Amino acid sequence: MIELTINGIKVQTPPKTTILQAALANGIYIPHLCWDRRLTPYGGCRLCLVEVEGQKKLFAACSSPAENNMVVHTETPKLEKARKTVLELLLVHHPLDCPICDKAGECELQELAFKYGPAESRFAAERKHDPESLAAPLIERNPNRCILCGKCVRVCREHQGVGAINLLGRGFKSKVSPAFEETLDCEFCGQCVDACPVGALGTKPFRYRSRVWFLEDKENICPYCGVGCTTTLSLREGKIVRARGIDGTGINEGDLCPRGRFGFDYIESEHRLTTPLIRKEGNLQPATWEEALGYISERLSEIKSRFGAETIGAIGSERCSVEDNYMLKKFMDALGSKNIDSRAHFGYGKISEALKKAFNIRALPVELNAPLKADVLFVLESDLTSTHPIYGLKVLAAKRDLGATLLVADPKQTKLARWATRWMRIKPATGAALVNGIMKAMLDEGIYDKKAEGTHGFDALKEALAKYTPEKVSEITGISADEIRNAAKTLASARNPMLFASIGSSENTKGTGTMLALMDLCLLLGRGPEALGLPAEFADTLGMLEAGVRPEGGLNVEDMLYRPNLRALYIMGENPAVTFPDAAKAEEVLKGIEFLVVQDILLTETAQMAHVVLPAASWAEKEGFFVGATGKPQKFIKCLPETGSSMPDWQILRNLGRLMQLDMGAKDEEGLDAEIANHLSLCFREQAAASFVPVEQAEMEMPDSGHPLILATGILMQHSGSLTTISKNISSAIADAYIQVNPRDAKTYGVVDEKFTKITAKDGASIYVKAKVTDEVPEGMLFVPAHFAHARVNLLTKPSANGEAPTVAVKIEGA
Amino acid sequence: MLSEEERKEIEAEAGQYDRKEAGSVEALKVVQRHRGWVSDEAIRDISAALDMTPDELDAVATFYSFIFRREVGRNLILVCDSVACYVMGYQGVLDSIKEKLGIDLGGTTEDRRFTLLPISCLGQCDKAPAIMINEDIYGNLGPEMLDSILSRYK
Repeated sequence: MIELTINGIKVQTPPKTTILQAALANGIYIPHLCWDRRLTPYGGCRLCLVEVEGQKKLFAACSSPAENNMVVHTETPKLEKARKTVLELLLVHHPLDCPICDKAGECELQELAFKYGPAESRFAAERKHDPESLAAPLIERNPNRCILCGKCVRVCREHQGVGAINLLGRGFKSKVSPAFEETLDCEFCGQCVDACPVGALGTKPFRYRSRVWFLEDKENICPYCGVGCTTTLSLREGKIVRARGIDGTGINEGDLCPRGRFGFDYIESEHRLTTPLIRKEGNLQPATWEEALGYISERLSEIKSRFGAETIGAIGSERCSVEDNYMLKKFMDALGSKNIDSRAHFGYGKISEALKKAFNIRALPVELNAPLKADVLFVLESDLTSTHPIYGLKVLAAKRDLGATLLVADPKQTKLARWATRWMRIKPATGAALVNGIMKAMLDEGIYDKKAEGTHGFDALKEALAKYTPEKVSEITGISADEIRNAAKTLASARNPMLFASIGSSENTKGTGTMLALMDLCLLLGRGPEALGLPAEFADTLGMLEAGVRPEGGLNVEDMLYRPNLRALYIMGENPAVTFPDAAKAEEVLKGIEFLVVQDILLTETAQMAHVVLPAASWAEKEGFFVGATGKPQKFIKCLPETGSSMPDWQILRNLGRLMQLDMGAKDEEGLDAEIANHLSLCFREQAAASFVPVEQAEMEMPDSGHPLILATGILMQHSGSLTTISKNISSAIADAYIQVNPRDAKTYGVVDEKFTKITAKDGASIYVKAKVTDEVPEGMLFVPAHFAHARVNLLTKPSANGEAPTVAVKIEGA
Repeated sequence: MLSEEERKEIEAEAGQYDRKEAGSVEALKVVQRHRGWVSDEAIRDISAALDMTPDELDAVATFYSFIFRREVGRNLILVCDSVACYVMGYQGVLDSIKEKLGIDLGGTTEDRRFTLLPISCLGQCDKAPAIMINEDIYGNLGPEMLDSILSRYK
């Protein structure tokens, strides 16, 4: 530790920190505009000037290292004068349009001008009169207010790994802009907006919505992916008008992605359900809660007594709270049915199954900052910065800021692939083969951890890997044998390697086998589960699984939705007709079900087929716990009243249970809270026991001459399931599906950029989507995001009975 | 698309540094030498060759006044407007050029023969007023000398 004196107070600070960091960590404020905890010091604004005893000149605290026995003063008459002048100069060109600036009231420049600034300026100079840039979705730019601190440019490039904007021009003409002053077209994460100390960048949904001092800020847990970020919602007159990441807040410490920053408005969709609906004479008609629950109670009791409880099933939701899923499980238990499952079957369920086999655990929470401690990071066919944006940032930071080696194996040129130390562009869905090849190379060269020999199944692994020579794997994956050997060497030489993958329920290039291969590799490196980064997909995926929404001794979703096994089905917060693979088959089975209850926030495609539809309160209209990828229960709070007569899912189930005179345990909210607290305290207590489980490279469908391309479905950074597609904010950035096609394939099959393209699967099912010709995907592979209901991507996909990667071979033609 | 020649020259420049982007200014100059100016498309191509993003390279390009981001004429007239030239007759020389070519500062003649630009100092203060056309310096100028000088450039 370094010891120095600031304003007469002795403080300590770790080596390689700056005077500013030392001061801020010890509660001493030094004004600054261009410094950001996450970025390299810039020294541009000159406001953090301090006096150091024994030195004549003033030091910029943000870029001067703290040294032992330094004596620093941060508030002296000399500094005040210097800061006053700096502010005076910053304000020379600043428009002072605070009365119409959305930033006013929380503007750092405004606050500093108020604290130090002169009321009058000694300088008279030209002011800028550039037009605002309003053409881009979500983010607005007002170059006139910009003080050129460059924080937005640096956060975009250094932290987010994008580089969409820069400081163009020089001197008075400088401005923040995308190249060629084009319209902004980026990830729309909005990190630049939160970084901007003035009103030069803003979010369009908040434009002229409110003066900030009329807002009430509430910290809430983001409802989308598994990371579980804290997003700070600003409310005005009963509406959420914006969401921000506040530095240091939540496990995300202020970072947010497009979903968390802009996706909040789905709750005020005009399509929200406001009242229960019952199908009468073929049509869904409004009903009271008494009628609806009475009808459900009657029908379920009837089906149970005539056909048995085993003909009733339920589907839970990875987006609902722990309480909701807990209650659904209780309801099914009380009914006497074990048929309960969720969409996780197609996603985290596969990881869960692999974990069960390899480590005898059901779930593996991730530690958000673990990537920062790794020296070699291996990411297998997973676009982490899209699926789990803030977790992905940590992987990026490990490589870029901490100098770790990043190996990425992915056919798609993801953001991580662009930043990788080595990018192995394997063929789609060949991850298991690649990992097998890497393990074989390690065994051949004897560079694996010798304690792996004592792990159960080592000999079986050795035997199974015999045929996965790097040469053979090179044929399967399309990368050279040397690349495979190099990857093996890099991983084997790591002090602290970490292996990453995720499976989204709409992703089809990875399966249980892929995950098992990765777990084998982990064991061969002599590591335990702590070296695996396998984040769960949604806000409450782990919470839902732990609440018991998983098929143990009952039917799983494939049995329930793809085979006519059920008489009655209760679906909570899920839309299988759109978001599940092989949507046509699921729809057929759903239509044949005698009694279908759908409990949701919208009249989804599935709800339209239901006999009874129940309106549920959404996130921010109820409180509860989410247990996301980190395994830590996080409480989300109620900020708004329920829409119409909607109710939290768990309340609906409790009421229904009461009506049916089922024993649902807790009688009231307090009782439930206690039960949930007890339940949560018992989660993730399984003891891991490791064993090798060798796997074969398997694919469901191989391309052939008639259907020569592999269609990969997946997730965009801006979207989450189909929920975000009802967010107007997010939809203003990306509202439609598209298919990425390699330029060579586009030429071969007559596909034109931006034009509709027909994609046909082997069973003849086809869809039309617009083409995006790009070399982000390799030849032979197509990528299509699966979020958009109207694109009906899931007409082409299939579930896979054995948990393997359900790849699809297709042909394309320009339409 | 960068020509084969341009690509080679850019690679040679960039290859001198640990990080390719260190050669960005030289790379811009390579393209400008071949084409006279640097288009948006060229920025994209060069940035790809240097592993940069287009906005980064555009930031470099727009920082330097003599990286031309708009098409310029075959010959470049730079009129010095620093103090020595200013007091020694800059205005007369400039007005005369403007009148003869029918263009303002920053303009290019319709036949693309000349582009007229200001420059802060040519280091010819002892021969003020001075101008530079392409690589040639002319000092101790008077408006009457311009016809014969300009006629040398086609």
